[in-house]
Amino acid sequence: MRGAWPIALRELSAYFRQPAGWIILALYLFLSGLVFATGILMPGKAASLRDFFALSGWLLLPVAPAITMRLVAEELRAGTIENLFTAPLSSAAIVLGKYFGACLFLLAMLAPTLVYPVVLRSFSSPQPDVGPMIAGYLCLLLLGGLYLALGTFASTLTANGTLAFLISLFSILALMFAGSAPPTTPASIRAVLDSVWITARVLDFSRGIIDTSHVVFFVTASAWFVFLSIVSLEVRRWR
Amino acid sequence: MVVAEHLHKSFGPVHAVRGVSFELAPGQVAALLGPNGAGKTTTIRMIVGFTMPDRGRVTIQGADTATSPAAARRQIGYLPESTPLYPEMRVREYLLYRARLYGLQRSDRGHALSRVLERCWLKEVANRRIGHLSKGYKQRVGLAGAMLHNPPVLVLDEPTNGLDPTQIRETRQLVRELAADRTMLVSSHILPEVAVLCDRVIVISGGVVRADSPTERLGRAPGDMNSYVLQARVQRAADEERFVKSMGNLPFVQEITRDGTRRQEGEWIEWRILAKAGSPDLREAIATAASQGGFLLRELRGESPSLEQAFLRLIEPGSDGGTS
Repeated sequence: MRGAWPIALRELSAYFRQPAGWIILALYLFLSGLVFATGILMPGKAASLRDFFALSGWLLLPVAPAITMRLVAEELRAGTIENLFTAPLSSAAIVLGKYFGACLFLLAMLAPTLVYPVVLRSFSSPQPDVGPMIAGYLCLLLLGGLYLALGTFASTLTANGTLAFLISLFSILALMFAGSAPPTTPASIRAVLDSVWITARVLDFSRGIIDTSHVVFFVTASAWFVFLSIVSLEVRRWR
Repeated sequence: MVVAEHLHKSFGPVHAVRGVSFELAPGQVAALLGPNGAGKTTTIRMIVGFTMPDRGRVTIQGADTATSPAAARRQIGYLPESTPLYPEMRVREYLLYRARLYGLQRSDRGHALSRVLERCWLKEVANRRIGHLSKGYKQRVGLAGAMLHNPPVLVLDEPTNGLDPTQIRETRQLVRELAADRTMLVSSHILPEVAVLCDRVIVISGGVVRADSPTERLGRAPGDMNSYVLQARVQRAADEERFVKSMGNLPFVQEITRDGTRRQEGEWIEWRILAKAGSPDLREAIATAASQGGFLLRELRGESPSLEQAFLRLIEPGSDGGTS
């Protein structure tokens, strides 16, 4: 998998060299700050980040597709993919490099939110529980990882960044509402939709429950979309 | 050593490359010449491993691009047609990134970087952002990136496309320097470029190799002459007409024109006789006809078709092509 690491580092630095990266960062911190300041840091409220984590699916919704929209699509549009495809790199190294680059940016974006538990601890009495917070952050990472994997795949499908953004936005929405199928839906389809429904899993995490099946779901689904991205790039070579 | 064997590539219903084969010996500088849409870029992309052929195979220094792609690609430095780069990166940074992609050891990177910065005349812009550079400089950054891992084979797709005349001259000089110790394949639709840079020309048109020969012999058989220049003495205006008639009656003569570009010196007039394709050497016949008509000749020489004429003859529809 040689070559993935330099690509990841280049991607990470590219976010911080372009206004888009800073805008994405600011947008996320603004949205999450709003939730924290108006929904959590209120007199009389329980000292917990439960609401923040419960809303994390929504907070990441506009942000994750923006992080991934240009990952591969921009290389396809600008033709720089030719440099990558003709370097001694496998499609897997290219995709993993891109995906890890986006994940590193996600970490950089989530890092400032660590100030919320610190603030909560210094202002509230009794002290908030640490356990649910660890579960909440694990949820943020797993959920972010899935959104980014889905976005990476969308980005390999088109050279148009806006289209890649919309594909991943609506796919994420579909996963968020998969459990809201009408009662008339056949049971077999309902079972499938329920199994890919992410909202219920996020709610469990926000309550402080770390369910292994949820962890396995997020990791497997992310790996699946990374795999599809690799296939999608490989198909481009042979087309 | 680059070997392309029976390459085929289709895009939907369009059969872009139809059985292209050639071999490049080590150290050879060859041009892939053809009009736009001839299949040059598709052929080049199959050679560098950007796209895979539908049929046929490519080996670079013995490594097959399909079965051992990484080994094959490591032997090649490639400059794509539009020189795609990351505008937000600085030149030095970009080159170091490429060095990492090609797996250069940390200890070798610095040396490789200073070598290409020096060779591609990039030292003074090493810390500038690529997006702020002129097209000529960007081209050099692309070339430097292609050479970082010191590949034995360089493939350049239209290296002077879109450059101004000064930049074209500089790029050609650079390419000539780089060709000194490498196997090189340059695609181009510009004839003078090919004549200056390459010692072999592979003409592609309609996805097929039309000719493959040393540059100076492109499209010409030894002794193949298709036009003759002669100076004859014509004393009276009426004689001029008679001269044209007597030359026009010779077999294989297609056209005879008075050279308007040369000033007439006394009674000596310069004429150009264009022969039909496949004609034998007409010099004797012309001299005999002139002396029989009572015209004195002071010059008679045959001319081979120019590179441009040869090229046009090769790519015109219905041309049987072949090698010479």
